[in-house]
Amino acid sequence: MSFEKIRIASIYLFLWVMAFLSIFPFLWMLISATNESNDITKGKLSFGNAMVANYQKFAALFDVGLVFWNSAKIAIVGSVLTLLVSSLAGYGFEVFKSPTRERFYQGILVSMMIPFATLMIPLFILLASFDMLDTHMAVILPTIASAYMVFYFRQNTKAFPPELRDAARVDGLKEWQIFLFVYLPVMRSTYAAAFIIVFMATWNSFLWPLIVLQSVELKTITLVLSSLGSSYTPDFGVIMVATIMATIPTLAVFFAMQRQFVEGMLGSVK
Amino acid sequence: MRQASRPGYRIFYDINGWAFVSVALLLIGTFMVYPIIQSLWMSFHAGQGTMVRFIGLGNVERLTSDPMFLRALTNTFIFLVVQVPIMIVLALVLASCLNMPNLRFRGLLRTAIFLPCVTSLVAYSVLFKSMFSYDGLVNSVLLQLAIIDQPVPWLTDPFWARVVVIAAITWRWTGYNMIFYLAAMQNVDKSIYEAARIDGISATRRFLSITIPVLKPVILFTTVTSTIGTLQMFDEAMNITGGGPADSTLTLSLYIYNLSFKFVPNFGYAATVSYVIVVLVAILAFFQFYVAREKD
Amino acid sequence: MEVGGPGLPPEPGVLVFSMRQALATSKETKEHTMHFAKPTTAHAAASLALASFGLMTAAAVSAKEVTVWAWDPNFNIAIMKDAAARYTAKHPDATFKIVDMSKADLEQKLQTTLASGVTKSLPDIVLVEDYNAQKYLRSFPTSFEPMSGKVDYAGFAKYKVDLMTVNGKVYGLPFDSGVTGMYYRKDLLAKAGFSEKDMENITWDRYIEIGTKVMAVTGKKMLGIDPNDNGLIRVMMQSAGRWYFDKDGKLDIKGNPALKAAMEVQGKLFKSGIVKPVTNWAEYVGAVNKGDVASITTGVWITGAVKSEKSQAGLWAVAPTPSLNVPGAVHASNLGGSSWYVLSGGKEKAMAVDFLNEIFAKDTDFYQSILISRGAVGTLMSSRAGKAYSDADLFFGGAQVWLRFSDWLAKVPSVNYGMFTYEGDAAVSAQLPALNQGVPVDQLLDKIQAQLAAQIK
Repeated sequence: MSFEKIRIASIYLFLWVMAFLSIFPFLWMLISATNESNDITKGKLSFGNAMVANYQKFAALFDVGLVFWNSAKIAIVGSVLTLLVSSLAGYGFEVFKSPTRERFYQGILVSMMIPFATLMIPLFILLASFDMLDTHMAVILPTIASAYMVFYFRQNTKAFPPELRDAARVDGLKEWQIFLFVYLPVMRSTYAAAFIIVFMATWNSFLWPLIVLQSVELKTITLVLSSLGSSYTPDFGVIMVATIMATIPTLAVFFAMQRQFVEGMLGSVK
Repeated sequence: MRQASRPGYRIFYDINGWAFVSVALLLIGTFMVYPIIQSLWMSFHAGQGTMVRFIGLGNVERLTSDPMFLRALTNTFIFLVVQVPIMIVLALVLASCLNMPNLRFRGLLRTAIFLPCVTSLVAYSVLFKSMFSYDGLVNSVLLQLAIIDQPVPWLTDPFWARVVVIAAITWRWTGYNMIFYLAAMQNVDKSIYEAARIDGISATRRFLSITIPVLKPVILFTTVTSTIGTLQMFDEAMNITGGGPADSTLTLSLYIYNLSFKFVPNFGYAATVSYVIVVLVAILAFFQFYVAREKD
Repeated sequence: MEVGGPGLPPEPGVLVFSMRQALATSKETKEHTMHFAKPTTAHAAASLALASFGLMTAAAVSAKEVTVWAWDPNFNIAIMKDAAARYTAKHPDATFKIVDMSKADLEQKLQTTLASGVTKSLPDIVLVEDYNAQKYLRSFPTSFEPMSGKVDYAGFAKYKVDLMTVNGKVYGLPFDSGVTGMYYRKDLLAKAGFSEKDMENITWDRYIEIGTKVMAVTGKKMLGIDPNDNGLIRVMMQSAGRWYFDKDGKLDIKGNPALKAAMEVQGKLFKSGIVKPVTNWAEYVGAVNKGDVASITTGVWITGAVKSEKSQAGLWAVAPTPSLNVPGAVHASNLGGSSWYVLSGGKEKAMAVDFLNEIFAKDTDFYQSILISRGAVGTLMSSRAGKAYSDADLFFGGAQVWLRFSDWLAKVPSVNYGMFTYEGDAAVSAQLPALNQGVPVDQLLDKIQAQLAAQIK
């Protein structure tokens, strides 16, 4: 047994322990979804048979399909619009540099320092004046132009080979055509990574939808989850089922696009 | 930056430039800049709810004699100083372990460690809250393993509550930062490591003298993002501990929330506290600017 | 938490350090299709068709829709639905939209909306916790509809009417009471040698003596307390007719004997070792249901939770709240409770006022029904003459518990909750760890006073 072997073994052990700790809460969520509430609070670690009952209780309280659809609609529409607007801007700032626009860009970055709590009430008043409260659009609109995403796309555009652009110009393509038919296809994995990040954020967003959405018919899964958790007598079985349902879509999106995600991440820190 | 080589090109260039960024600028102007200006105006006012009056810098004066604000500021710094280094170091170590050549189950391990940041915040708060309750899972496991003989008051003791919040944030974000490091490590030429290994340089030395320097920009990037994230930390404190016990996990953002929605609403003072965060971030950005200039 | 940034720390100033341009690899290899778990449009349409949620009663011809916000589906929401059904039976033109959200969500939404001055998205009726009443009424003075003159307030418990009165106008419709009592396990106390008579009208010091004996004999703790929750301190303080503020709303901390005595009792409780520390509401209730504690002293709304453990039927009894050793202390207090308020900007406010008046201020039969189905004790004094109130409850060994609670309800001392009760709670909670470590209460009162003085500007 050489020192090198011990080193490698301990690396494996460390990695597996960390992986286990990372995954464990998910396992516990799965186990708990099959148990009754009072078993969960005692920390029962074996599978039970209350899964169906828990789901039925959940479905009796909320129209699960509709809640899911609301979350999906906000997340997908929001993500697509965010990617489009932010990548256009990131591309524009990087490809057509000018001192004036650089000032604007710095302004955008500075605006990210402001905590959301500061903006909440002015934003609410603003959307009220647009007569948009209690609509999904009001949830989506303020998130479309994401300063972080503009920054992300600008960083990634730095890795976009100028030769491709020049060649396209020689071929007589207009600038918007270059963006659409050259840049977009080449930057596929950058978009995939961005989509994952934005999708997760919008799917999981909580505070803003909470303030804007009043109608039960418009509620998203995170709002439902929060109201389940704050009942005087929370039913943890139901909560765990709802937690699983809130987590599945983000997991699915992540697994479907994992490879592009890692590649896309490569670009943004160059 | 390419120079205009023929007349008219400059104009064409600018029209395109503005066209590409206009939608984003319009939206950011409407939904970020305008509310920022409005909240700045609010910060010169005080009062209850809609009964406000102009008080100039009175809110800034109030900050200095507000024990709760000082506690929130202290807590935010504690989280910053303790949590960010732990997370960055852990993420670095994990990334370099995962970068080991011929590692089996690499994809599986990487995915597993990254997975926490996919969870919904509300969902993971619910999980942590129930796992760390007095009779909860963590205590019952530790008791069974005879590691402790009395249940640990995880969420009711000021010290342990901070530990839980730090553990929760670390659980959620370490894998996320790790991905950045992994991505950067893949750009390092494997042969450098190999040569160093053959020269008999120890793994720790290799890590310190090859990996760290190469990753410097990325480490800077993740440190800055984590710092700003921590300065604005709200969700975990709100959902796991509610800022308690005895304000031990009260963060600045949570205090802003309380001033707006829990206590007698004083939006002007809340806006003032939020600008404290802005100032802190600005100081850090300047510091970072300074560090970066030395590099070039 | 942010609108703009996608769930990760936003990132300013990165432009200032020139990131090393590593090798650009823009080669894209395999094609990848995107997969979404997207519901089909047919499914979505079906869901939309199902979106009635059973919250709306049958739509009438010229429907006027009254919107209500409340929290807790098992209590307030269920009771509101019952009330709405009674009203629509007589007024077919009325429909109700009852929106359920958590208490924290509701308060936040209400405060944001009132602050923005936008009335359009507000409900017609909102549930407000009693501790918050003065805060809302004074911070947003034009937002709530005064109902004095339209509603006869003489029939309600006085403390309840007082807390919704500002400048002589009464605003809310009193709803449930948080009148307190001591629930205890007869069987465990009998083992330790205490009869039901021994538990009547005791002081907290006596309670600690009894608890110590119960623990020695049965091994069970006497009560559960969340070490960071000052609910019990509030109960004790109000039982002596004092609060964080005096009648004029001035701070009443340093020279407040009731607050001092209450904190000392809580300190003694922890020191005596008869307390099971609990982390949250679920554990607090769980300690009772699992049989870990021998008693619980809190608001009457806990009754349903106590009775939910069917295996303990017949083992429980109720007694008056223990009292403090300070002048003016009684064996009755209050914890929580809430009331319904009509918003001035509501579209159907006239109907909302009429509805509240007809059901919550006059319908004693309704109060019997919610008492039986939800264990809700209203504050309309005439409802106690109804049959449900005098029913013997087998769970409590055949005692007339509801009558006892309504007797105590009439004795709850009226105090001025003022606007800053939450700030007061925060200031007291901040000192609780020190209290449990045995720091003298006078020192803590100084700190509480200092923090509150800084906050109520």
